Amino acid sequence: MGGVCLSVVKAIFLKELKVEFRNKQMIVTSFILSVMIIASFRFAFSMLEMSLNSIAAPVIWITFFFSGMFTLSLTYRREIDEGTLDGLLLAPISPSSIFFGKFLANLLVMFILEMFSLVLFFAFFPVDTPDIPALLTLIVLGTVGFAAMGNLISAISSKVAYSAVMLPVLLVPILLFTIVMSAVTGTAQIFSGGNISDVANEIKFILAFDVVFIAMGYLLADYILEA
Amino acid sequence: MNINKLKLPILLIAIVLTLVAIYMAFVYAPPHETMGDVQRIFYFHVASAWISYLAFAVTFVAGLIYLKTKDMKWDKYAFGSAELGVVFCTIAITTGPLWGKAVWGVYWRWEDIKLFMTLVLWLIFIAYLALRANVHSRTQKANLSAVFGIIGFLSIPMSFAANRIWKQSHPTVIASSEGSLRASMGISLAVATVAFTFLYIYLLLTKVENENLRESIEFIKQKIGD
Repeated sequence: MGGVCLSVVKAIFLKELKVEFRNKQMIVTSFILSVMIIASFRFAFSMLEMSLNSIAAPVIWITFFFSGMFTLSLTYRREIDEGTLDGLLLAPISPSSIFFGKFLANLLVMFILEMFSLVLFFAFFPVDTPDIPALLTLIVLGTVGFAAMGNLISAISSKVAYSAVMLPVLLVPILLFTIVMSAVTGTAQIFSGGNISDVANEIKFILAFDVVFIAMGYLLADYILEA
Repeated sequence: MNINKLKLPILLIAIVLTLVAIYMAFVYAPPHETMGDVQRIFYFHVASAWISYLAFAVTFVAGLIYLKTKDMKWDKYAFGSAELGVVFCTIAITTGPLWGKAVWGVYWRWEDIKLFMTLVLWLIFIAYLALRANVHSRTQKANLSAVFGIIGFLSIPMSFAANRIWKQSHPTVIASSEGSLRASMGISLAVATVAFTFLYIYLLLTKVENENLRESIEFIKQKIGD
């Protein structure tokens, strides 16, 4: 499985960011997608007599989940479409380093996207101000697990026909019931006035998922990339 | 092949035990004190749920062995077992609500962790089958589905943990029975479970044999085509 070399991880990380931001189309489209998702939720819930505080957590996480998926779906597919994956694999670097480089780059892009969505959320949904540091902690930790497992599944789906459809098909049953569920439970408590100590259990769970998902990525990246 | 000689006796045992299990579930076991006759679905419900867990565990282990040895035989076992697991899981999650409607008054309880986990397993292995259907190269199919089978199976205890906070209201099979599960009921359940296990083994061996035949046909077709 090969070790992880930090300088390689850094090189892959910078390469990914360069590719991501060289073509602004992609990142701008992701921002627009977030606007559309938040706006659809606002529209859908404007018909119902519901407390906005109680729907905040699911709305935020479903928005993150689906807009993040769009970023993830291209991570490995792009390499195959542009014929650069072979070059990457021929280079004397371990697949685990490729995985970590891409994972960190995705994490950064997804986090930027999520902060944008969060601001949009507060603009569209007039909720009571929650405990912001606690909310950010949950978002950061949740995103780490999301990006780790998302990267692994994205590597699988990139080799499959209809890869854009297969990514959510494979990712939803894994992530929705682990990271997303704990994150939604925790976020809901924060929006109903809880602080960081109220969500200590959820944070512990999400941390455990993060560790396991990153370990899975490290151990399994070999088998996927060289398949 | 050695193992295929065992298929006929396994099939015979499965048929006999299934008939015995049907007799025991409907005649031998007494009706439940509070739930009445509707509880008889329990023998088949629990047996299929058990087989689906067993089948997915086999997929997980066969996937691990495949990744280590790269022997296609294990991939066939993993695939066959996943398919059977989805079938038995479908039986479990359709018989469950039929029982639930009579006992709880509702078909499905979202707050029930066992129902929820079985549904998650079902979704994961449906995704597994969708993955296999969409990969064209044989080795890629084996590699990618082995990895996904491993991820999927390992995510089950984690989903379980994520739902730990939820209230548990599933009738716990043995532990909480406090005399409500009589010895005759326990024996009937055991027979049904063993019967289903033999049925599963028979179906799995048949499935693997089918896959082998399919491969030889593909091979012959390619030879003729050239």
